Amino acid sequence: MNRQRRKDFLLPLGGEQSFEPPVPPQSLMVGNVPSQESPEQVALAAHRDARQLVRLVQCPQCSRPLSAPATLPCGHTVCRRCLPHPRPRANISYPNTPDRLFGLACPLPQCGAEHAAAECNVDVTLSKLVELIKAEMTKHNPSTHATPTQLEEILQCDDSMAMEEKEKMRDISNQRVLHGGRLVSTFTMAEIGELQYGSDLVYHTLSSTGDDYQQLDNALLDRLREVAHKELDCLVCYTLMMDPTTTSCGHTFCRRCLARVMDHSSICPVCRRDLHIPASLQNKCSNALLNSLLNGLCPDLVAARAAAAEAEEQPGDDTLTTPLFVCTLALPTMPTFLHVFEPRYRLMMRRCVEGNRQFGMVMYNRTSAPQGDLGPTQFLEYGTLLEIVNFELLRDGRSFVETRGVGRFRICAHGMLDGYHVGRIERVEDLSLAEEGELEQRETTSAQELADQFQRENPDAALPADIALNLHSTQNLLDSCMEFIRQMRQASAPWLSARIVSVYGEPPEDPALFPYWFASVLPITEEEKYVLLRTNRVRERLKIVYSWIGRIRGQRWPSGNACSIL
Amino acid sequence: MALPKRIIKETERLMAEPVQGISAIPHEENLRHFDVVIFGPSQSPYEGGVFKAELFLPEDYPMAPPKVRFLTKIYHPNIDRLGRICLDVLKSNWSPALQIRTILLSIQALLGAPNPDDPLANDVAQQWKEDQNKAIATAKEWTEKYAKP
Repeated sequence: MNRQRRKDFLLPLGGEQSFEPPVPPQSLMVGNVPSQESPEQVALAAHRDARQLVRLVQCPQCSRPLSAPATLPCGHTVCRRCLPHPRPRANISYPNTPDRLFGLACPLPQCGAEHAAAECNVDVTLSKLVELIKAEMTKHNPSTHATPTQLEEILQCDDSMAMEEKEKMRDISNQRVLHGGRLVSTFTMAEIGELQYGSDLVYHTLSSTGDDYQQLDNALLDRLREVAHKELDCLVCYTLMMDPTTTSCGHTFCRRCLARVMDHSSICPVCRRDLHIPASLQNKCSNALLNSLLNGLCPDLVAARAAAAEAEEQPGDDTLTTPLFVCTLALPTMPTFLHVFEPRYRLMMRRCVEGNRQFGMVMYNRTSAPQGDLGPTQFLEYGTLLEIVNFELLRDGRSFVETRGVGRFRICAHGMLDGYHVGRIERVEDLSLAEEGELEQRETTSAQELADQFQRENPDAALPADIALNLHSTQNLLDSCMEFIRQMRQASAPWLSARIVSVYGEPPEDPALFPYWFASVLPITEEEKYVLLRTNRVRERLKIVYSWIGRIRGQRWPSGNACSIL
Repeated sequence: MALPKRIIKETERLMAEPVQGISAIPHEENLRHFDVVIFGPSQSPYEGGVFKAELFLPEDYPMAPPKVRFLTKIYHPNIDRLGRICLDVLKSNWSPALQIRTILLSIQALLGAPNPDDPLANDVAQQWKEDQNKAIATAKEWTEKYAKP
C-alpha cells in the first residue's frame, strides 16, 4: 500500500475541500425511503459532491465500485461476491423450493436479517448501470498525468472514540495523488481499494495555476447522466422509474407498475419466474440505491415523473372523479360485502384505499334500457356511494371489502380509466321536511275524499289499492311494516334469521332509513329494490316497501334447505 | 383520455426504427388503432405475400395484450377464417414487458413456422397434418390469390 503520512494536511486549509457535505452521507446509505416521501432533493453537483456521487456506486461491504450488484429483500445493494455463503435455514418448509431452504445473513448492519438465498440475485438494472459508469470513468481517466489532485481520506470517527484512537485513524487513512478531476480520481481511489465506503475526502489541487479541474467533473457527470438515463426507464411504463422496486429475480419496475402487474399475474413480466410476493407490495422494500441514484442525479425528473403519474391516475376529464363499481345493488346506511377479483377492480380498490376510500356502486343494466340522458349504458343511472370500512387483501391479490352506503347518486357523465368506469355524480337527497309534510297532508286528505266518494258509490266493494295505500299516514306505513317484521320473526322466516339480523342490525325506527334495511333483508329481486334509489321522499319509499308486504304475505317461504347467502 | 406515455413512445420507436418486413401505422383519429402490414417470411408458403392486419391496444394495455387480427385471407392452421390468431403471447403468455414490436415479430415467425398441433382453424390443421405438401400448396395458392400487392 502506498500510504503517505503527512499530518499537516489533515486540517482544513481553506476553500479547497468539501468538508461539509450538502447531502448527509446517511441519506445516501439508508434503505427503503420511497422517493416521494423524502424531502425535496437537490441534484448532486459534479465537483462539490464528487465524494457522494462515487459513494453511490460503492459497495457498502467491500468499498470498491459495485461489481455484479445484488439487491437484497431489504432493499440494500452489495456486490454478489460480498454476500456471505448461504447456509441451510432451519425449520422453514414453505415455500418449499430448494433455493429457499438456504439463507444468508444480511451483511449490512442496519438490516441484520436472514434472507432466503433465492431472493439475493443480481440486480439487472444496477449491473448494467455500474458497468456503464465504470466504462465512462475509464474513458475519462486521462492518459497523461497533467491534472493532479491530492486526495486525503477522512475516516469516519465516532465521537465516543478516545483522542488517541482518532489520531491513530488519521495515521491509517489513505492519501493519493490522482488525475482527471475529482470524480475520476475519487472513483479510481475506490477502485484501488483505498477509500472506505463511509470515509470523506479532502481534495487539494496540485495544479500550478490553481485550476481545480471543475470542468472535467461537469463534463463527466453530464455524460454519466446521459448514460444512466437510458437504463432508468421502467420496462412496463417506459418512463423514468418511480420508486423502483426490484423483484427477487433481479428485475426492477416502478412500484405502482409492479403492483398493477400483480393484479394480472404473479410472475415477473421479464423472466416469468414466480414472484412469491404478496400482491399489496406493502412489505416489499424499494430499491434504496436506485432511489438514491435517481434523487442524486435527476431530482427534477423524479419530481416531474411523480407529478405526471398523479395526473395520469386522474381521469382525463377532471370532473369524472368517482370510480364506479358495476356489480350489485347497494343501499344507503347498509353494509355491502364485496369479493374483488377482476384486475381492473383490484386497481380501483387499491386507489380507493389510498384515496378517500369511497366509490360508487351501480347495477348492471341487464335490459340495456336507456338511462336518462346517458342512453343505454352498461350500468343503471342511479347508484349508492360506498365507503370502505374494512379491506382485507388476500395473498393472491383478491380482496374482501366491507363497505357501508353513505349516500345515493345519479350519474351525470361517465368515462373510462384504466379499464373501469368513472363518473361525474350528483347526490340524490330527500326533499325538505316541510315539503315532505305537505305531501303527506295532501295525499292523505285527497285519498280520504276519494275513499269517501268511492264508498258512497260502491258501499260493499273494497277500496282500490292505490286509494287504500294513500290513506295511511307515513307513521302508519312504518308501523305496519314493523308489525309485519314482528309477525315474520315469530313465524321464523329464514330471511330474518339471527345471522342476517346480526349483519344488518335491528330495523331502524327512522322512517327515512327503514326502507333501506327492509330492502336489504327482503328476498326480492334487486331490480325491484332499485326504485328506492331514485326516490326523494320518505313517504314514497315507505309506500314502495309497504306494497311489497302484501305480496310476501301470500307466499310460502321455502324451508331451511334454501341457501341464504350473506 | 390522454394516451399513456408508453403508447406514444412505442409508436415513435416503431416509426423511427421500423421492423424489417413489418409496418405498423397508427390511425390519425385513434392512436390505439394500427394498420399493420406483414410481409410473408422467405422460404415459407407465404413468401412474396403482403398481409394486412389490424392491431388495437385496449384500454388496459400494457396490462392486457394488444388485439391483432389478419384482414387478408390466409391459409394457416393457427389463423382462422375471421383472421383471428392463435398465439400464446397474445393470450395467456402475454407480459407487459412485451410490446407491439415483439408481438408483430412473433406473428411473422408464426407464418414461418405453422403449428398444426395447436390449431385454431381445424380444417386447415387437419389438412396440414394429413398432407403437408398439399396444404403448403394451398397456402401458396392463397398467398398468390389474396396477398398480392
